[in-house]
Amino acid sequence: MKDLTVLTGSEIAQGIKDGSLNEEGVLSFFKARIEKKDTSLKSFVEVYDKPLEADGSSDLGGVPIAIKDNICIKGKKITCASKILASHVSVYDATVVERLKKTGLRIVGTANMDEFAFGSSTENSCYGPTKNPWDTSRVPGGSSGGSAAAVGARLVPFALGSDTGGSIRQPACFCGVVGFKPTYGRVSRYGLVAFGSSLDQIGPLTTNFIDCAHLLNIISGYDPKDSTSDMAESVDFTGALVDDVKNIRIGIPKEYFGEGLDGQVRQAINEAIEIFKKKGVQTVQVSLPHTEYAVATYYIVASSEASSNLQRFDGIRYGARCASGNLKEVYFASRGKGLGDESKRRIFLGTHSLSSGYYDAYYARALKVRTLIRRDFDEVFRNVDVVLTPTSPTPAFKIGEKVTDPLSMYLSDIYTISANLAGLPAVSVPCGFAKGNLPIGLQLIARAFDESTLIRLGFSYQRTTDFHKRIPSV
Amino acid sequence: MDEFDIVIGLEVHVQLKTKSKIFCSCSTEFESPPNTNICPVCCGYPGVLPVFNQKALELGVRVARGLGCEINPQIYFERKSYFYPDLPKNYQISQYKMPLGENGWLTLPSGKRIGIGRVHLEEDAGKLVHKKDYSLVDLNRTGIPLLEIVSKPDINSADEAFDYLTYLKLALQYIEASDCDMEKGILRCDANISLKKKGTQALGVKVELKNMNSFRGVRDALDYEAKRQAKTLEKSEKITQETRLWDETKRKTMVMRSKEEAHDYRYFPEPDLRKFSISLECKKIQENFLSKIEMPLKKREKFTKMYGLSAKDTDVLISDMWLANFFEEATTTFSDYKKMCGWLLGPFLEQVNALGASSGEVKISPANFAKVVKYFAEGKLNNLAAKKVLSLCVSTNKDIDRVIEEEGLVQVSGHQELQRFIEEALSQNPKPVQEYLGGKQQAIQFLVGQVMRKTQGKANPKVVRELLEESLKKHKGESSE
Amino acid sequence: MTKEDIVAYVANLARIHISREEKEFLEGQLTKILDYIGKLKELDVEGVEPMSGFRLSHNITRDDVTKQSHVREDILRNAPNREGDYFKVPKVIE
Repeated sequence: MKDLTVLTGSEIAQGIKDGSLNEEGVLSFFKARIEKKDTSLKSFVEVYDKPLEADGSSDLGGVPIAIKDNICIKGKKITCASKILASHVSVYDATVVERLKKTGLRIVGTANMDEFAFGSSTENSCYGPTKNPWDTSRVPGGSSGGSAAAVGARLVPFALGSDTGGSIRQPACFCGVVGFKPTYGRVSRYGLVAFGSSLDQIGPLTTNFIDCAHLLNIISGYDPKDSTSDMAESVDFTGALVDDVKNIRIGIPKEYFGEGLDGQVRQAINEAIEIFKKKGVQTVQVSLPHTEYAVATYYIVASSEASSNLQRFDGIRYGARCASGNLKEVYFASRGKGLGDESKRRIFLGTHSLSSGYYDAYYARALKVRTLIRRDFDEVFRNVDVVLTPTSPTPAFKIGEKVTDPLSMYLSDIYTISANLAGLPAVSVPCGFAKGNLPIGLQLIARAFDESTLIRLGFSYQRTTDFHKRIPSV
Repeated sequence: MDEFDIVIGLEVHVQLKTKSKIFCSCSTEFESPPNTNICPVCCGYPGVLPVFNQKALELGVRVARGLGCEINPQIYFERKSYFYPDLPKNYQISQYKMPLGENGWLTLPSGKRIGIGRVHLEEDAGKLVHKKDYSLVDLNRTGIPLLEIVSKPDINSADEAFDYLTYLKLALQYIEASDCDMEKGILRCDANISLKKKGTQALGVKVELKNMNSFRGVRDALDYEAKRQAKTLEKSEKITQETRLWDETKRKTMVMRSKEEAHDYRYFPEPDLRKFSISLECKKIQENFLSKIEMPLKKREKFTKMYGLSAKDTDVLISDMWLANFFEEATTTFSDYKKMCGWLLGPFLEQVNALGASSGEVKISPANFAKVVKYFAEGKLNNLAAKKVLSLCVSTNKDIDRVIEEEGLVQVSGHQELQRFIEEALSQNPKPVQEYLGGKQQAIQFLVGQVMRKTQGKANPKVVRELLEESLKKHKGESSE
Repeated sequence: MTKEDIVAYVANLARIHISREEKEFLEGQLTKILDYIGKLKELDVEGVEPMSGFRLSHNITRDDVTKQSHVREDILRNAPNREGDYFKVPKVIE
């Protein structure tokens, strides 16, 4: 069979449609590739014997896809990479899964992640860390590290991840793929195991913007099962696949280029800005003055919501129950043994932030600062269409490098968090390589519900560059 | 006891009358087999999200307005966290800072207004079944919409608390917001009570009372607790702030066994639901609905003053809105209110009960019912015949006149016709006639019976008796001649 | 509350057993994290509305219609311990 790794998902689907490829052949090609490569990468939690049946068609029909293991698939294990859910079988399909099935995509398995999406390296998985396909001694980023590594290594043409503070964009950056976080409310969260309910969004990880636009078309749209999903008019994102970015105004926020930004990353971003300029965009220096408070705000808001969302994992109705003994012992032991270190840290921080006597100083205050952060963006978007920043201050770091220092791990999300706090769409685009063949990514952030401008810029950029076409030799 | 004022506040939870749960589409049906009305949402499965039931919102607004509350133009839900096996998410979606309604009141028959502090929406928890060594969880009830109605501490006696509950329940039933059945757990009530020395302002230490299963239980528990607190204070001892459970069989309150932890519910706005605006239109729709309903207290006044019914009969009538309305409609056909009330609460209800039917299944129209009572009053039907007509029409609403004709129930009241039967009876029964004439007054009873039999029960026994007496008088005259 | 007290108090609220070592570890890390997030106190947020909800649009509610889930058996099958059609738990003391 022909080397499918060089094709986009859309091209594969087109091949299946016009008969130059056959669906079973495509599925077995990728299955074989997963079997061969994933023993070292460990990007999958479970690879199904047979991909799930699908009964519809679309521009991506017949193409395999991996799903982050925090999105529910009826009759399949959903573990969130946590021991407390290790044997839990979902009894329903997430809305995005329903949509994938209805459009003919073939779900091949579930992707590894940080437990309950808590982390930036996929090291907090009860199944062990996923490796970066560009350098297996390094992390793939997180928490959607499995999804990003699988797409980066072309084990699947694309995958779904979830993004609460950068969990799609940062691993996409580390693995050299496109990771898109839609506007809050654009994609239904029904069936996504909640981490930070007011921040979470499901989004695609792809190698290119054509696939990205097609996948967004499939998963977007109002869902009556999710009261926070938005009734914004549906958009055909493929309409933005035009190589014309003239007169788009890009803001470069000075706060994102300060101390802590790796020199090679800075250089790659600057080169990308030059490419955009050549293509006719206008660039403007802008300021997002509350950026330095974003990480603190995020950790309070996200952990508070998470502490509440994770209360349901108690070993009573599903999941793993530990200890006999009295009720209290069952709660304490099931949660004590079933939850990993980072989950405990977040739950502790969140519970503390909401507890009596601390609520005003932490949670209530953080929500107010969140307003200030959103206002920064409102202000900037009066003058520019898009904000361009690095996705991560550094390329992928070494496995084990930051596990003992959670704060430094948290700070690696410094550039991605604000888009979640403000509910804005954002994408990481491969834009270069650092020493040792480590991918670098740039981030574009747009106004709420203006995903199209991001796609247009990304598509146009990839027309001129070939970073996204390089494949790691894992 | 007399040196203290009693201060009581009641916290009532009522189940709103919706078909589906507050945040999912599971049925709210009562008494389903365990864990039948459950789905991933109400079982707190990973990844699920709540979607608010529009009807619960509307009924909530109706109740809040019905109790005179100000409605907050924008409301939101919050999560109230605590671990308990009947609470699947280990948090309850409730309201805290921005409840649906605030500052209302309920008027008692005494004329006293009891303030309503707040009215808020929340989801119910499940049910635990306690076995000897373990417990079982049934989640059918989880997610049933509840309205929590918190009174201000304006209630000053156990009887007043009883009245408050009675009229609150009636109000909720009249406005069709809840069935308020305490036995089915559709209405639940906790109380708090403290005493303060008469004439002082300082409030006493509050005790929370739980586990009352009827209005009477609430009254008895409060009575007991007021006395207990008074005794304690009279001994110059201190009241402990605690939660006590009412023991219905031992008839006393007892300190809750398990040591209660200091609650730290960690309320914060529910991020899975947006804010809800209560539009003027939504309010107006409910207010229009309410304006068409005569509330129980107003009905009560009307029934005693306008219709002259006794307090006792009035209370029975208004305790069932259907019955009260039936009565009122019937009065437009026939205006002997007392007689109508007597027939309604007597023979009519007997018939309904005999059918084992609920008032809702009764078919007879108020006008037809009134007609039966009217015929009875006019002497067209005797007591037995009237009851017979009722029994034939309660569940059918057949035409009354036709039934009377078909069954041949018209009272035999023509004197000539009757006179014939009387003469027959007298001539056929010389012995009782002799006895009567000899001074044994009761002997006439037998003769009345004989005549009634001859008329097949269609005569008015009073008339028969009168005519008999007259005839016998004649006999007496004849025999003495 | 001291850091030690906070960790013990929160562990109880969150119903999580932590070993002695975990406790010391968490105390140390939480201290650092709390110090860091304490930087929000620098900001003047007087009069700032807390952010909740995103684009304010009309109410999102559902009609009062019942629907059977048909997954009752699956849900009961997922229970770590059941008796008949109930979830079984250790004795709950009222």
